[in-house]
This record gives sequence, structure tokens and C-alpha cells, in this order.
Amino acid sequence: MKKLVSVFLALLLALGMMSFASADEPLVVTVLLPEFTMDVDFVAENNPVLDAIEAATGVRLQITWAPNENYGDILNTTMTDKELPMLIAATDARSPLIMNSARASAFWDLTDYVNDAANYPNLALGDPQIYNNISVDGRVYGIYRTRNYPRGGAYYRSDIAKEVGFDKEVKTIDDLTELAEKLAGYSDDTYALNMCSYTAGTISFITVAFGAPNNWGVDENGDIYPAHLSPAYLEGLNWLRHLYEIGGIDPNFAQISTNDWNDIERTGKAFMRFDCLDNAYRQQEWFENNVEGVTETIFAQVGPLAKADGSITIWPQNPGFSGEILVTKAVKEEDMEKVMKFLDWCNSDTGISVLNLGVENATYWMGDDGFRIDISKLPEEEYNEKSNAGKQYLHDLNQLNMGVSYHAVEPAMKLSESRQRFADLNVELAPYAVLDPCYPLVSQTNIDYGAQLSPIISDAAVQYIAGIIDEDGLKAAWAAWAEQGGDQMTAEYNEAYHAAQ
Amino acid sequence: MTTKAAERRAMHGTGKQYWYRLGAEVKRDKWLYLLLLPGLIYFIVFKYLPMFGVVIAFENYVPFSGVLGSEWVGFKWFNSFFRFPAWLTYLKNTLILSLMNIVFFFPAPIILALLLNEMRNLRYKKTLQTMLYVPHFISIVIVVSITFVMFGPSGIVYKLTQNLLGHAINYMGSPDTFRWMIIGQTIWKETGWGTIIFLAALTNVDTQLYEAAMVDGAGRLRRLWHITLPAIRSTIVLMLILRMGSMLDTGYDHLILMANPLNRSASQTLDVFVYQQGIQQGQFSYASAIGLMKSIVSVTLVLGSNKIAHMLGEPGLY
Repeated sequence: MKKLVSVFLALLLALGMMSFASADEPLVVTVLLPEFTMDVDFVAENNPVLDAIEAATGVRLQITWAPNENYGDILNTTMTDKELPMLIAATDARSPLIMNSARASAFWDLTDYVNDAANYPNLALGDPQIYNNISVDGRVYGIYRTRNYPRGGAYYRSDIAKEVGFDKEVKTIDDLTELAEKLAGYSDDTYALNMCSYTAGTISFITVAFGAPNNWGVDENGDIYPAHLSPAYLEGLNWLRHLYEIGGIDPNFAQISTNDWNDIERTGKAFMRFDCLDNAYRQQEWFENNVEGVTETIFAQVGPLAKADGSITIWPQNPGFSGEILVTKAVKEEDMEKVMKFLDWCNSDTGISVLNLGVENATYWMGDDGFRIDISKLPEEEYNEKSNAGKQYLHDLNQLNMGVSYHAVEPAMKLSESRQRFADLNVELAPYAVLDPCYPLVSQTNIDYGAQLSPIISDAAVQYIAGIIDEDGLKAAWAAWAEQGGDQMTAEYNEAYHAAQ
Repeated sequence: MTTKAAERRAMHGTGKQYWYRLGAEVKRDKWLYLLLLPGLIYFIVFKYLPMFGVVIAFENYVPFSGVLGSEWVGFKWFNSFFRFPAWLTYLKNTLILSLMNIVFFFPAPIILALLLNEMRNLRYKKTLQTMLYVPHFISIVIVVSITFVMFGPSGIVYKLTQNLLGHAINYMGSPDTFRWMIIGQTIWKETGWGTIIFLAALTNVDTQLYEAAMVDGAGRLRRLWHITLPAIRSTIVLMLILRMGSMLDTGYDHLILMANPLNRSASQTLDVFVYQQGIQQGQFSYASAIGLMKSIVSVTLVLGSNKIAHMLGEPGLY
């Protein structure tokens, strides 16, 4: 309630300020962003981070936070409002509503801005391929939010692996199999692989590692086909099914909430996970802070995995970006230059630093060695105070970070062994990433029944892994998918793919 | 129709005369009409005006262009739905769940109301009633969480059946048990609340009838069968007709909360489809089209069952 009132007051204030804006007044820009930090409320007044942004750009941000869990729903309902926020973080650049709204010119066409290197040098540094991926009918309506490709990966508890007699680096799928089998035998009430009801990441990781395409593949004739028709997809599922059979996966994984995923590793119930690789160092840091006696790196991150023939394919977890920042028509034409200058600033060195870290001595602190200090290493009281300041003032402002210029976040923290390994792997894994060729393409069937069709494949995979259905059952599900619109979707993607070539 | 019109003419007169009399009646009963006004405004503002929004079912509605500015596409979304080969599965899931609801959940409040009605100790009865209403006020999210704790793989009921039967029943992870769990939760949550209307009907039963029956030597069951049930029969029929109207409504929140990859096939109903298309995908037109179809079926069912009730000699809905 308090939050609602404050949002309402903020909106009132925004409206009031807009109507009386003079040359000296900052331009108030309303923003809709996803919120991850739920335990501490964002403080909008006397906020050093917002003040710093205002001082640098003349833009005062008025942010509406929407919980990430149902951000998509909130975004869709927000789009029906008469008063749109000026900037919107669209987490799915391909959603039918966003594309239709772009066609109905609900957003400003940014194509000319992102190609104008003279006035918007940072925006122009963006990857033309990704701008193409998010374009609608050839026009760019948003600035994409950069993500490193190879965030997907495997990590495991190296200390447990040593205990069960596995003491080498995982370099091939065979190594991974050996490791998983040994971890499965660790004890009766623990499991090798940590799985929960969100299975898409785990399944994609292992199937792509075996050589399956990422969602959609291109065959030797240059035609599009769905990933599950690749033999490697079944190999990947068989790998999981085998692990399930030997007791390496919790029999009830499909009913475990995603919220419990981290806790399963933290309580030592499972030792390996296929997910975002950066979770490895987060878990490492959690153990260092919460478990007595953990000082060594106990979460090993797996590098490139070679197949039997020596080739390497990696599931990249994302298409190189995660959604986009849209500029709606709530921005008046005369303010466009200012707003675009602001977005350009967001992609500059300082902009990226402010959006990710905030302001020195308010939300981050420097050590004597010239590195940013890691507050989780501070005594509890000081840590609480500093972490609270970060949550209040910076909150989840990094959701506005686009980073199309690929500037690194400075000042850096002294990387722990675990974080350094992640940073190195990012570079090492990138060339092996398998991308989805259909990402920029549009299929009407996918728009109409995609939400109903995709669970057919993913649910069947889960049931196959859990031994509820056999290979015939799996094939029957694939046939049902094809019949209920999958074939149609494949045909439409093919048409769009060939047209784009 | 003509007889009704004739009746009206006889009662109120024709033409000018009719309006004159209407005016006089309104003037006479002005305070009653004033009382009616808030309800009337409520229905106009919240029920009738939004109905015009249904035109988006025939448009490719883009919020930014507005209802008037969006492209007109006619029956495109209806076609889209019926071209979807699995639409029958969605209908089937909806109907199965609805029928189970009518067969198993609908009688529950009636039985409970009859049981409560037989209670002698008034204070005990009132306390019990209040306690029975409590589950209605518990959010479905909480109900599902409680179910997970009890019936989930580490829950007490799961372990108990495992020990008793020698094999586990996967309550939360199988399409076969899914519908029973939904019905079970609905019964647990709504039965108590549902008794209210039947208990109200029961208060209208003339107690002299019971006394007379007792004198004639009728036992409790006989009195129940010959006096109580006939007395609330029209209420039961009325509730059944209204229930028919929501035959295609399964709700989506409850089903989505209970669904997981193992039981999803049973959870896919029309309401879930509307949610997936409308809120998750942002295809408001598509969702409205399906919602509109559902409404047409519902109205047909209500009118149809009302007609049947009339034929059977019941007063029905109107």
C-alpha cells in the first residue's frame, strides 16, 4: 500500500514537473523496470544515484518497479494504460504485443539514432546483427540489453568429487558422465545433478553439448528443423535418463520449486548443476560467508566439453542480449534528443558504471589497493549497513543497463578465483556458442499457439527423463506437437529464414 | 409474446397513457427507486459499459491504437482457435473438470447444510458454521502450498499411503490425480461458504410441518426426505441453473498453481488458454474472442437449463 501511494505521488510529481518544466528543471523520465530486490524498498528522494544521473544528463528518473517473477504479465497490462512510461524494459523483444505496438507506432523509431555515430557515439557501437535481431519490419525500436553469450554452463562441487575419487578437469562428455556417476554414488540421500521444475536450461545444456541445435537448427539442405528431431537431442535426454535411473537425480525434481534450487546445493543435497555459470561463484561466495571452514574454491566451473569426435558445441543460455529498452511515444518529440542523449550516456563508461555500481561512498566503496571492496567480506554490521544502502539507492537499476558499447564495469572488484574463472570462461566458450537461427524470425503459428505447443516438447522430455514414458511415448509427443501446429511453425520459419537469406 | 404485450397493455394502458402512469408510479415510489439507483449505476458502469469492449475480439487490438483505431479482422481469432488442432483437448479438459465439479462439489454444501440444520445445540451450530466459513477466506495460493506440504513427495499423506499401500501415489505429479486434487481442494475451501444460501432457504421451512410429521410418526430421515428437501428444491434448482452458466469456467489461477510438467496435460482448460494468450502473450483480441465464445455457450446453457426447469414445473431463474 505504502508503495502504491508513493508510486502514485511520484507520478503526480512527475506530471506536475512536466507541465512546469523550464530550462533549468530536469526532464522527468518515467521508467518501468523489473525488480529483483524485494526485501528493501527503493528510495527515490535524496537518492545519490539518481542525483548523479540527473547531474550528468539533466534527466530525473521516476522508476516504477515491477516484480521480475511476473514482469511479463505486468508489462502486458501496462501496455494497455493510457499513460505509458517513457522508457520500458521489455524482457522479451519478440512478444507479439510489443511487435504489434511497435507497428502501431507506440514507440519511437530509433533506427536513425543508433546509426548516428556523430551525435550518439555509444549507441552506434552496438552490434548491427543484434539490432537486426530485435528489429520489427526492419526498423529498430529499442536499445538491446547486452548479455554475454556463454553464461550457460556446468559447475560442480570439486571437494565432493575428490571424495568420490574424481580428481581431474572435466574436458569431455565422457568425463562429465564419469563424474556424474561417481557423484550419484556419494550417498543414498544425496543426488548428483541438481534439477527442479525449471528444466529448460538443464535439458538445453546437455542436448546442445551432445550436438543438438539450440531450439531450432539448420540442416545440410539449409532448412530449419526443430531441435528435438536431432539424434543428439535424444542422446542428451538419454544421458539424463540414465543418471535418473542410477539415482543421480531427485525423483521428484519436476515438483521442486525454482525457489528451492539454490538451497538444494547449499544444504548439500546435490553437487552439480547445468545453469547460468555465474551462479557458481555466487554459490562459492555463499559458502564462504555461511559455512564454517570454506576458504578454498569448492565450485568448479566446467570449460569446453568435447564430444567423442572432439568437436565442441556450447549452449549459450541467451542470444547475446536480454530484451530491450523501448522509448514510448510518451516522450514528446522535442524531448527526444535529450532522452536519446541520456540513453547514449547510459552506454558510456561512466553511465555503465553508475547504473551497475552507483556512486562511490554511497553504494560502493574503494579499497586502498585501488580495487572496489567486496562488502560481503566485511563484518556483519558494516555489511548490513552497506548492502542496505545499495539496495535502497541502486536497487535494480542495472536493469536499465544496456551496455551496447561493451565497456567493462569500472572500477572493478579484485576478482576472486571463482569470478576470474567465470570471466576467463566467458572468453574461452564464446566461439563454441550455438545460436538459435529463428530468433529474429516471426512465425504466426508460434504467436497463436506457441504458448500451448512448447510445453508438449518440454513436458515430454521431463516425463522421459523420469521414466514415466519410453521412447515411443516421447516420439508420440513429438508427433502430437508436429500435428498440432509444429509442422506449420517449421514451415513458417523456413519461409522466413529463406526470405531473410 | 403477444399475450405478454396484451397483459402489459391491460395493466399500464397504451401510448401516452403508459408513460403517464409510469411517471406517476416512479413519483409515488421515488424512495424505492432512489434505493435502486446505486445498484443500477453499478450494473451500467461495471457490467454493461465494459461489454462494448468485446469488439476487440473482432479486431487486431493494439492498446496504443485504442479500440477505435485498431485494425478490424472479423472472425480471424475464432478461426485461429478452431484451426488449432488441440482445441478439443482444451474443451474436453474444461468439461471433465466442470462435470466433476457438478457431480462431486455441487451436492457437498447441500449435504452439509442439511446436517447443520439437524443440529440441536444452537451455540455449537453457530460456532461450527463460523469455522466452516474460514477456508473460503484463505487464498488459493495458501491452499495449494498446504496441499504441497501434505500431499507432496515429502508430505505426511504421501508417506502414509506409501506405507499403507506399499507403493506411492503421486498426488501432485500425475494427470490422473490432478482433477481429484482440484475437486478436493475446492470442496475443502468452498463447501462451508456454499451452505449459506441453503441454510437461508432452510429457515423458511414451516416448523409446523415437522411437528405434524412427528405426530404422524415420521422419523428424522422421513422428515428430511418429505419436508426439508422439497422445501429447498427450488433453491437447489436455481443454484444448479446458475452453475450451468459457469460450466466452461474453471478459473486459471488454481490450475496454474497446481500444474507442473508431469500433470500439465490435465490442467489445460479454456480459461488457462485465455490466460496464456491474453496476459502472458499480450494477445488481448485472441483472448477476448475465446472469452466471448465461452460467454455465448454459458448464456445458452443458462437459458436452456432454465427452460428445462420450467418444463419440470420449477420456477427456475425467472
